[in-house]
Amino acid sequence: MSALPHSGEARTPAAVARVEQARLARPNGWWGMAIFVATEATLFGTIIGTYFYLRFNNLHWPPPGVPEPKVTLPLVLTGLLVLSSIPVQLAVNAASRGLLTRARVALLLALVVQAGYLGMQIHLFVHDVHEFPPSGSAYSSIYFTMLGAHHLHVFVGVLLSAWILLRTATGLTGYRMNGLRATAFYWHFVNVLALCVLGTQLSPLA
Amino acid sequence: MATTITEPAAQRVERLERIWVEPRGLWGWLTTTDHKRIGLLYFFTTLAFFGAGGIEALLIRTQLAQPNERVLSPETYDQLMTMHGVTMIFLFVIPISTGAFGNYLIPLMIGARDMAFPRMNALSYWLFLASGLFMYASVFMHAAPNAGWFDYVPLALKQYNPGRNIDFYALGLIFNGVSTTAAAINFIVTIFKLRAPGMSMNRMPLFCFAMLAVSLSLIFALPSLTIDLVYLELQRTLGFHFFDVAHGGDPLLWQHLFWLFGHPEVYIIILPAFGIATSIIPTFSKRKMIAFPLVALAELLVAFIGFGVWAHHMFATGLPTITLVFFAAASMMVVIPSTIQVFAWTVTVALGRPEFKTPLLFIGGFIVFFVLGGLSGIMFAAIPFDQATTDTYFVVAHFHFIIFGAAVFPILGGMYYWFPKVTGRLYNEGLAKLSFWLTFVGTAVTFFPMHILGLLGMTRRVYTYPSSLGWGAYNLSETIGAFILTAGLLLIFGNLAYSRFRGAPAGRDPFFGGTLEWATSSPPPPYNFPVIPTVRSAYPNWDAEDREADVRRLERGELVLDEGHETPASTVVDAVPDEVLEMPAESPWPLAVAVCTGLLFIMLLTQHYAVAGVFAGLALLCVAGWHAKEPVET
Repeated sequence: MSALPHSGEARTPAAVARVEQARLARPNGWWGMAIFVATEATLFGTIIGTYFYLRFNNLHWPPPGVPEPKVTLPLVLTGLLVLSSIPVQLAVNAASRGLLTRARVALLLALVVQAGYLGMQIHLFVHDVHEFPPSGSAYSSIYFTMLGAHHLHVFVGVLLSAWILLRTATGLTGYRMNGLRATAFYWHFVNVLALCVLGTQLSPLA
Repeated sequence: MATTITEPAAQRVERLERIWVEPRGLWGWLTTTDHKRIGLLYFFTTLAFFGAGGIEALLIRTQLAQPNERVLSPETYDQLMTMHGVTMIFLFVIPISTGAFGNYLIPLMIGARDMAFPRMNALSYWLFLASGLFMYASVFMHAAPNAGWFDYVPLALKQYNPGRNIDFYALGLIFNGVSTTAAAINFIVTIFKLRAPGMSMNRMPLFCFAMLAVSLSLIFALPSLTIDLVYLELQRTLGFHFFDVAHGGDPLLWQHLFWLFGHPEVYIIILPAFGIATSIIPTFSKRKMIAFPLVALAELLVAFIGFGVWAHHMFATGLPTITLVFFAAASMMVVIPSTIQVFAWTVTVALGRPEFKTPLLFIGGFIVFFVLGGLSGIMFAAIPFDQATTDTYFVVAHFHFIIFGAAVFPILGGMYYWFPKVTGRLYNEGLAKLSFWLTFVGTAVTFFPMHILGLLGMTRRVYTYPSSLGWGAYNLSETIGAFILTAGLLLIFGNLAYSRFRGAPAGRDPFFGGTLEWATSSPPPPYNFPVIPTVRSAYPNWDAEDREADVRRLERGELVLDEGHETPASTVVDAVPDEVLEMPAESPWPLAVAVCTGLLFIMLLTQHYAVAGVFAGLALLCVAGWHAKEPVET
C-alpha cells in the first residue's frame, strides 16, 4: 500500500541490497547496539579509572613479589585481534551489496581469529592467577577484574559472530543484515577496548 | 453515499484489530509485548513496592515518634531504613516514572504503535520484577540490606557484616541495573527512530525530552554503580582487595564510584517529574509552554551537569580543598537550568487561563517543594555549611522535599491526568482535590521539622534518641504528618480504584490536551492509532486540520499499515519516514530469559557458581530461541 520499503520483507541477498540502498537512516538494531556500546564503554572507563585511582594510592605498582606484566605475547595477540576488524567490516560491506558467500567467508575468518585469541588469553589468565592470585593485593584484584571483563566481552563477540554465521547459512534477510551490522559495530568496539586495556595493563612499564 | 466512503476505513480498522490483538487471560499478560500492557504491569508492580516502602517508612516514624521507643530493635531498624531507601529509589520512583509512565506514554506521544524493541521491553519488566522479588526475599529471611542505601564500606565488608544482607543488596542492584539499562536503550531508540512523520526533534513533546535525558543519564551513570557492586561482591566472596587499605585498596573508592552514579541518579529521579509537569501545565493553562526550546535544553543540561557534581556528597571525607571548590561551583551551576524551568512553568501558568484541577494542583505542590528543596540544596554547595550539617536530618529534610515533594507529586498528578486516557473514565474531582491537600499538608508536616532537627544536631540513621535533647515534639509532629500523608495517598488510590469501575465515561480527550496521546480513543486500541498521524507542531492535537486530515487518510488507506504488525521508522532528527518495520508480536521468551536470570542470581547469592553457569547457559539458549524466528515469518 505504502511506498516505503519493508526491510523485514527482504528475504533474498538482492532484496537486502535494495533495502540497504534505499534506507536514509541507520536501522534500529544499529542504534540499539550503539547505545549499548556507549554504556559498555562507560563501564570500561570506570574500570580503567579504578586502575589508575588504585595505582596513585600505592607506592609500589605492581607490589613487591608480583611480576611486571608480560609484553610480547599480549602485544602480538592484541594486534591479531584488532586486525580481525578488517574481515568483519568486509563481511558487512559484502552482505549489504548482496554478496552472501563472500560475507560468510570473511565472517568465518574473523571468527577463527577471535576464538584463537580468546583461547590463548584464557590460557594466559589461568597461568597468571596461579602466579599472583587476585586476592593478593589491590593490583592483582583490578588486573584480573579488568582482563576478565574484557575476555568476557570477547566471548560475547565470539557468540554473536557464530550466531550470525549460523543464521546466514540459510540465506540473508533484512533482519539478519541488521544483526550483522550490530555485531560488527560491537566487534569494532571490543577491539578499541582491547587497545585501551592493553595500554592500561602495560602502563607500569612506562 | 457517505457509508460507501467510510466502509473501507471501517474494514481497515477491523483488520488492524485482528492483526494486533493479543491472547486473552493470564497467558496474554505473561507473553505481552504491548507497551501499554507492559506499562500497566510496571505500574501495579511499582505500586506494590511503594506500599512496602511506605509501610517501612511508617514503622520508622513510629519508632522515632517518642524518645527511647522500643517498637523496633536496632537491627530491624537498620534493615527497614535501608530497604525504605532502596525500595523507593530503585523499585518505585525510577521504574514508575520510566517503566510505567514512559512505557505507556512515549509511543502514544510520538505517534508510534509500539516501542522500538517490544520483546526487550517485556524482558525489562520481567527482570525488574524478578530483581525486586529477589531483594524482598531478604526481608522474609530477616537478612535485608542493613548498611544504608549508599552502603558505605568498610561497614558493608564481610568482616563487619558477615550475613547475606549486603550480598542481597549488591546482587539485587546489579540485577535491577540490567533491567534498567535495557529499558533505557529501548526508550532512546524509540524516541530517535519511531517518531511520527513530521515530528522533528524540535516538535517532540517536552515529556519525551525529559525521558530522553533520563535514559541518557541511566546509560552513562549505571555502569559505575554496577562495577562498584561487582568490586564489593568480589571482595566479599572471593577475597579481592578494592576497599581495604591494608592491601592497597581505598574505602573512598566505593564512595567515588557510588556517587558518580548516585548524583546523576538524583536527576534521573527528578527529570520525569519535569516531563510530567510540562505535560500538565499547558493543558490546564490552555496555552503552549513558553520558552519551549530553552526548557528542552534545560532538561538535557540538568542531566549533563549531574555528572560533574558527585563529590558534593563527600565534602566531609577529607578530599583536597581544590577538589571541593570545583565540585561546589559545579553544584551551584545546576541552579541555572533549574531556574529556567521554574520560571517557564510559573510564567506559562500566569500567562494562560489556568484551571486548577487536581493535576495542576499537584504541579503547584511540586513547584513549592522543588523550590524549597532546591534552596536547601544550594546551601549544601557551600562547603562549610555542608560540613556542619552532613549526615544530619537537615539532609534528610532536603532530599525528602526533593524526592517526595518534587519527584512524586507530579507522578501523583500524572496518575490523575492520564487516568481517563488509560481507563476511559473520569476520577472524582472533589475527592481528588481533598487528596491533594491531605498529601500536601502531610508532606510539609512530615518533612519540614526535619530541617530544625538537623540544625539541632539530630543525626541520620539513629534508631532512637534520649528525651533530654528536646527532640520529641518535632519527631512526634513528623510521625503525625506521615500518617496524614498516608491518608492522602490512600484517598488517591481509593478514588482511582472506585472511578475505574464507577467513573463517568471520559471520552477521547476530556482535558483538551495538546499531545498525540489525546488524539486516540480512551483506552487506546492495541495498535494505538488507526492511521499513523502526521505532525506539524509541538502540540499536534491542537492542530485540528491535521487531525481531520488523519481521518481522510484512513479513508484513503494512506499510512494505515493494515497489512501486518507494522509501524514506520523515520530519520533521527527530521522524522522523515524511512521504512516500514515489521514489529514482533507476543512472545514467551522474555519471561523465560528473566526466570533463568533470576535463578542465576539466586545461585550467585548462595555461591553455587557451577549451577549459576548452567542457568547462564540456559538464559543464552532462551535468547537464541527468541531470535531464531524472525518477525516476518510469524
